[in-house]
Amino acid sequence: MKHSEFAETYRNRHKLAEGWKKSGKKVFGYFCNYTPEEIIYAAGIIPVRIRGGSENIELADTHLPSICCSYMRSALDQALKGKYNYLDGAVFPKSCDMTRALYSIWKRNIKISYYWNLPIPGKSNDAAVDFYIGELRLFEESLEKYTGKKMGDDSLKQAIKLYNENRALVRELYNLSLRDDPPLSGSEMFEVLRAGLVIPKEEHNAMLRKLLPALSSAKGSQDGKVRLMIAGNTFETVELLQAIEESGANVVVDDVDIGSRYYFSSVNENEEPLRALSERYLRKVLCPCKHNAQHRVYHILKLAKDYQVQGVILLTQKYCDTHLYDRPWLESKLKEEGLPVLVVDHSDIGWVGGKFKTMVQAFVEMVG
Amino acid sequence: METKQEKPATPFKPPRLAASAALGTLNEIYYRDLANAKQQGRPVVWITSMTPIELVYAFDGIPFFPENYAALCSSRKVAEDLCKAGEARGYSQDLCAYALCTFGVMFEKRGAFGDEGPPAPDILLATQGACMTHPKWWEAMQRHYKCPMIIIDAAYTVDSDTLSPHHREYYASELKETVRLMEKYTNKKLGADKLREVVTFSDQASALWDEIDEMRAAVPTPISQIDVFTCLFALVTLKGTKEAVEFYKQLRDEVKMRVDNKVGFVPNEKFRLVWDMFPIYHNMRLLNYFAEFGAAFVTDLYGNAFSGRLNVADPYGSLADRYLSFFMRAASWGKAELYKKRIKKYHVDGIVFHSNRCCRCFTAEQPDIGNILRDELGLSSLMFEGNMVDPRGYDDTQVKAKIESFIEMLEARKYPKK
Repeated sequence: MKHSEFAETYRNRHKLAEGWKKSGKKVFGYFCNYTPEEIIYAAGIIPVRIRGGSENIELADTHLPSICCSYMRSALDQALKGKYNYLDGAVFPKSCDMTRALYSIWKRNIKISYYWNLPIPGKSNDAAVDFYIGELRLFEESLEKYTGKKMGDDSLKQAIKLYNENRALVRELYNLSLRDDPPLSGSEMFEVLRAGLVIPKEEHNAMLRKLLPALSSAKGSQDGKVRLMIAGNTFETVELLQAIEESGANVVVDDVDIGSRYYFSSVNENEEPLRALSERYLRKVLCPCKHNAQHRVYHILKLAKDYQVQGVILLTQKYCDTHLYDRPWLESKLKEEGLPVLVVDHSDIGWVGGKFKTMVQAFVEMVG
Repeated sequence: METKQEKPATPFKPPRLAASAALGTLNEIYYRDLANAKQQGRPVVWITSMTPIELVYAFDGIPFFPENYAALCSSRKVAEDLCKAGEARGYSQDLCAYALCTFGVMFEKRGAFGDEGPPAPDILLATQGACMTHPKWWEAMQRHYKCPMIIIDAAYTVDSDTLSPHHREYYASELKETVRLMEKYTNKKLGADKLREVVTFSDQASALWDEIDEMRAAVPTPISQIDVFTCLFALVTLKGTKEAVEFYKQLRDEVKMRVDNKVGFVPNEKFRLVWDMFPIYHNMRLLNYFAEFGAAFVTDLYGNAFSGRLNVADPYGSLADRYLSFFMRAASWGKAELYKKRIKKYHVDGIVFHSNRCCRCFTAEQPDIGNILRDELGLSSLMFEGNMVDPRGYDDTQVKAKIESFIEMLEARKYPKK
């Protein structure tokens, strides 16, 4: 098993999903780290992350202004082009203003038989956790109605266990980057992580179980490179990680939505399942749309220390409001702690490699 | 198009409302009270729109709306510099210009009148009910002012279709928690009588606003959209006070007199339009440009988001209903439904969307709202780009050219030549 097989899996994700459909499975698309996938999985449905891309927008502009983030514009464009025709359902958690608005835009323009709008509180205190348990129950009931089958605590517990196994395996992978000579580069790691968003967790786990032993004994490919961290939100452009590597650096850890923010925190298996899910999603997923910047500063500093990071790239998707409000302060706090910071505005659509590389090269020279 | 629209040589000036003098006085008194708040021991509470202002007045506080103030900075042509000052501190030009302009005021201690700006907040109070900009913006200000902050959780409802009783209960419990914190921070107890009084005044102001709004359906329509946006000040900032009620009574009587006498603000009203969302504060006169072609704005939903009936017998429950169900929280089809009702009732010929480049939250669904109204009612629409506060990038010539061709199209549809 090689990391390139994960990249292959991601590239073929639409074909794979169509294959599952042919074998009688249901497939739901979802947005955002705040979707409690375990519940969808427990209903016997395969959850896949709806992703965008870097291709030019052809159809979405008549429905969505260009001041919206390239992720949402591109995902809508792909759906309008029919790439997501296989979806049986779509779940929109209320996290940022974009997921709120895109729910109605998708529902009106993309023909999918099941839509769910998942309310998420903006706090994570006990009252919010209790409130959210109620919402998760409503979601569960709605899925039971959709499938015609009772879910039961057992299937939910099994799903939680499977997802936690996946998180633990990915954590092992990250642990390899603690070494002075990480066996995977940041871009290779990205492919491994990204594949996990679009295939059933048992398949990702099987792939990881084959990959891990080979990597543990492998000699590091990233020896002596400047160790960087990337923090921000979602992106599709794996080339930007490659550009970093070509500049003599390597991303050894991240705080991005499809990386550690998605994979690191597990669900407490000793608690009542919905309570455990409510606590995990409200308290452990540190996205600025639900959490004060203070939380993320601690989190980033801890990761930076653990992974012996020499610099941080704050990569923000253009037009992502919640990240943009936190960024100036985040930058100043990290610098105060002695961490060099490079601030980058990013858009998957129209990404200019040369410009990015020039910035990164200067940064790597400075911190190296 | 064969006919070029005729327009008068001098720019249109609408007849002035007598009530605007009273509004000017209210404005002066408000800013004087704000300046003197600290001396008088009244807490200055910086607040977002769609946060229950009633609680601030119930604690004898003075609410200060940075949004309103940024609008003032914009109309006084100082917003661009203030926005640039916000950018110099690392805040993106793509952010809400209300926020960006306020960051300028905050960092530079510079106000709309070349003064030091508003007094610093004693409490920062916000809600997640309207947009996610509000809480993030407030967090940024809290890091600067280091004063207590209360954020009312209303992040969860995604649209009014999914509003359920437990959402209301949770919101009501958030309000009670807000009261507890306000008592702690202000060192005052909330009196039940005071809350009832404030809720009563708030309800009365809203009822009067609704009455005025209804009267705009008259043909010709009695007041201009500029009047509406301007007179909104009291509903935004003074709701919950007796003064706001008195002002809206005066305005209601004046509007009624115009309606009874069939006085319109545009002579020879030819077209009746809807304005969608934010005004352009640095160029309010653009609204008068429509009037030059006999086009009048006869309704909008934006202003009405600030009005909401309350029940004095159940203050918390009715505040929850009101602050969870204003129109901005509806999905695109919910907003379109509200417009559809108004389009019939107000005899509307077309809708104008101001695509506000700094506000993703309320521009994202505009194309679809237009699509729904076109598909279901055959309604014509115009969309143009602007920024509510920051004049940079706004192209007046291009916008006016768009308006002219829109009017030509309306003309051809409404008054076809034989």
